[in-house]
Amino acid sequence: MKLRQSMAGLHTWGGLLPSWLLFVIIFAGTVACFDKELSRWMRPALHDGVASSLGADDARGWLQQNVSDELHAFWMHGPTEREPYWRLGWEVDGTETIHNVTFDPRSRQATPMAETVGGEFFFKLHYNLHAGDVGMYIVGLAGMFMLVALVSGVIIHRRIFKDFFTLRPRANGQRAWLDAHNLFGVVGFPFHLVLAYTGVAIFVASYMPAAAQVSYAGNVMQYFGEVMGSYHRDELHQPAGKPVSLDALIAESQRQWGGGEVGWVSVHHPDDASAVVDIRRRDRSRIASPQDTLTYDATSGELLNRQDASTGYRAYLWLAGLHMAQFGGTLVRLLYLLMGLAGCAMLIGGLQVWLAKREQRGDRSLPWVRALNGAVFGGLPLASLALLWGNRLIPTGFAERAVAEGWVFAGAWLLVALWSVLRRQQGRRLLRGQLLLGALLALVLPLVNGLTTGGHLLASLGRGDWALASVDLFLIAAGLVCAACAWRLDGAGTPAVIRRRSPRVQEA
Amino acid sequence: MLLSAFALSYLGMMLLCLGMNRHRSELLRADRRVPAALILRSLAAVCFGIALWLCITSQGGEIGAVIWLCLVMLAGVLLALLLAWRARWVLPLMPLLAAGAALSGLW
Repeated sequence: MKLRQSMAGLHTWGGLLPSWLLFVIIFAGTVACFDKELSRWMRPALHDGVASSLGADDARGWLQQNVSDELHAFWMHGPTEREPYWRLGWEVDGTETIHNVTFDPRSRQATPMAETVGGEFFFKLHYNLHAGDVGMYIVGLAGMFMLVALVSGVIIHRRIFKDFFTLRPRANGQRAWLDAHNLFGVVGFPFHLVLAYTGVAIFVASYMPAAAQVSYAGNVMQYFGEVMGSYHRDELHQPAGKPVSLDALIAESQRQWGGGEVGWVSVHHPDDASAVVDIRRRDRSRIASPQDTLTYDATSGELLNRQDASTGYRAYLWLAGLHMAQFGGTLVRLLYLLMGLAGCAMLIGGLQVWLAKREQRGDRSLPWVRALNGAVFGGLPLASLALLWGNRLIPTGFAERAVAEGWVFAGAWLLVALWSVLRRQQGRRLLRGQLLLGALLALVLPLVNGLTTGGHLLASLGRGDWALASVDLFLIAAGLVCAACAWRLDGAGTPAVIRRRSPRVQEA
Repeated sequence: MLLSAFALSYLGMMLLCLGMNRHRSELLRADRRVPAALILRSLAAVCFGIALWLCITSQGGEIGAVIWLCLVMLAGVLLALLLAWRARWVLPLMPLLAAGAALSGLW
């Protein structure tokens, strides 16, 4: 019994403290399952589903004309089914900042689209909380805590098989929430465990850097190069000759692969005679991304290297691929989305157990934990909705538009947090208010979308464009669920009904 | 394939459920007899196995296994939610899922 008791303490506190952070990570990751669909929704130029007719040379031409700085590297990705447009990114030499631009697929010349944070906002929130390397370490720590909570949770659960299907919403608060916490934790256990483990494993080289630092005498880039079997050429500090056509290199690569798809195309130090072009292969039919990159001399077009990744790196990529769900199409992403929502429900259930247990004792910290709950569990979904509102309402020509969208998100979240703190003594009123606001924001958003762009729901449904329509449909469904819950909460006379699991997590 | 695999996962979960005293009384009248728990569990394992086989034949080993695992987990969540709020729908949903699977197979 000693082990179980100590594990119970570990599970309670090791689970409680990171749980708000974990909610942010899991919720953002859940939304990020459909980040590319969201990106399309957030860019009105993509609403009619036209595929781009540009080529890689057009994108490079735009870069040469519009960016005069010496570049460390630039990279681009052609149109795909989910992202039917060219994307271009570059890093100016000597700076660590990365610039991105996307090209309007309707235009015959390379014309940038209006700036937006896009669905990548949630992806980035998921892996580093928009806080760079520090955020990445914080997320990693939270992921390790999640692994600890999962394992200790299994140890302290006495009746894991007997209670497998048990959910008693009509029981008293603590019992009902414990059932919910257990149900989503135990039934979804394989998913939570695999995703927490693979999530931590993705940045393993950053979390455990010592071995590489020591073996490679601090030259980490050499370590990565050897592990990935990639090609590197030092700068010669001589001016580059006339670059060879990128489109020709892409065609040559496809011939080399026997007709595979092309993914990222990147050029390293393009202004130097040592410039090389990397062409990566894209294959969504396997869990691990293929490591078959071809490296060419940027001036002569000569094939310099064919990537030969080590077995360890391939195993790592398999784990990373399992986490990122870029395989298996919409079906896999949908399943991950549903399981991610189950993860959110598990976290909310766990916190409610903690609260219900202490409610009987009347702890002084309770209002603050409730305020934190309202600020995070209500705040993040509401702020996400506000972000989409901002995306639709900030004018196209607005300078630093993406930054403004980010501020809308942050500002909305701060406001909800403030609201939660002010209403910390009236948990039910707060929850009801948040649900009503969520319903309003989610239900009106498809209308705003229809009024501000040509890509309204009827048009996208009429074209059979489910990828675009699904965002509006999801918003409507989430809004209706919120409204129904607020309604129930309102008319609830008996406590049993109030204690139902709140589907706030289904907003997005 | 998807619907058949999900129907089989759901059937497996349902059989596991029927093998537990607490849930059997929620789902069936007291005088209905069911096979022993061991037999139900073995049948459930067979259902999960066929569902896995279906997923693997249609999506390949790697991706099929991932999809199968997600389907089984979701079937479990769905069954538990139904048991809590709409216990009467648990059994009728099974033929519905089977019919849907058959229809999508024909189509």
